Amino acid sequence: MNSDDYDSSLPEGLDLRALSAFVDGELPGAERAAIEGQLKQHPQAAARVAAWRAQKAALRALCGAPPRSERDARNERREDDAADEPAFIVLRRKTPWWQRAGVAACWLAAGAGLALALGPLAPRLTGGAWGGLGGQPPSFAERADIAYAVYTPERRHPVEVAASEEEHLISWLSKRLNRPLSVPSLQEYGYSLVGGRLLPGEAGPAAQFMYENGSGARLTLYVTGTSRDETAFRLFREGNRRTFYWINDGMGYALSGPIAEGKLRTIAIDVCSALGGKPESWQ
Amino acid sequence: MNFEAEVISWLPQLRRYARALTGDRAWADDLVQDTAERAFARWAAFRPDSNLRAWLLTILRHLYIDQLRGRREIAVDDESAPWRNLEAPQGEVDGLVLRDLQRALYCLPVEQREVLLLVCVEELSYQEASSALGVPIGTVMSRLSRAREHMRALLTEGPAEGPARKTTPLKVVRNP
Repeated sequence: MNSDDYDSSLPEGLDLRALSAFVDGELPGAERAAIEGQLKQHPQAAARVAAWRAQKAALRALCGAPPRSERDARNERREDDAADEPAFIVLRRKTPWWQRAGVAACWLAAGAGLALALGPLAPRLTGGAWGGLGGQPPSFAERADIAYAVYTPERRHPVEVAASEEEHLISWLSKRLNRPLSVPSLQEYGYSLVGGRLLPGEAGPAAQFMYENGSGARLTLYVTGTSRDETAFRLFREGNRRTFYWINDGMGYALSGPIAEGKLRTIAIDVCSALGGKPESWQ
Repeated sequence: MNFEAEVISWLPQLRRYARALTGDRAWADDLVQDTAERAFARWAAFRPDSNLRAWLLTILRHLYIDQLRGRREIAVDDESAPWRNLEAPQGEVDGLVLRDLQRALYCLPVEQREVLLLVCVEELSYQEASSALGVPIGTVMSRLSRAREHMRALLTEGPAEGPARKTTPLKVVRNP
């Protein structure tokens, strides 16, 4: 390639940069007139300009740009192009993040308020479907369910720390929960880890790990310390969401998702045993 | 016009530029998608009095350069080279000439290709190209004239027209 701005075949004092700028209409009046004068005298220079103009037109044709090179047409061009090819970008986030965060916070508050208000009634409302001790789920299961509802619809900020930084994620959350955590793989079920976040729990911090499958369905694993001590493996239903929860060694775990109960149960049993629990005792 | 509407109005041109730059439709669409997302995420960083198109092109360029690092070199004559799958451009210029032109374009180093496309196809002024590329105007001018000469050399040195078309040695696009 030619790395020199001067070309021996061109007249002295006429450099390629100036010729190039001439082709693009970037020269001020006086310089442009000077080049025009030289082009008349120097056929090589004129041929070069012609070649570049042809190149420019051909590039525009190649790239599907409208065959108009006049700068004046620039403004119209925008509309033309827009009409030729509709914008098909997927706008995954149409509202500003703070607005979404606000909405999420409202839902969280509303959900928490509702849970508080209806909590005592719930066993009667659901006909005791929760079962278990006293007919009421430990509040971490509800919190896990609410956290699922609040964060899984997030497309942009579903997690605070992404799975790409898994090591950091685990060490950070382990530190905050004051407990070595591990994140079970759900790859076998087609779910991969999206990441995790720290949440306020009932009596201290809680961690939420989010998983997603190929079609975008999400599951969350909620982990928090708990003072309750029971070994049962239970189900909590809320709308179309299901949460299987259990307690093992001072920690409460809840796996939530909108998938079929049987399937979620299978996954939960797997998760429980991956986390050192003893699901055999429930089966 | 509000910021988002303004960004959306530039998408068709961003897409055209991305296609020309990458020679790969799918890659280009991803680049445009990522560019729009990044623009919306960073709208606060955009100064309203500056040039939105140049700003968007800068974002797209950074994403492209980042992604290039992750991709293998592509042999220009490789039948599976992404630009081979671009749609044939509409008539008016001879198809064979365009084929050669396309081949030459992807032989250029990316710095030359991008400035050529920004100025010739996207019709950015030198000032706009300078801000989109983050280099002084003088650099835009030098790169552009070198790109034009490089293209011209590739096209004239290239295979002669007609049955005596000889095959030139394979060239490889070396992405930085």
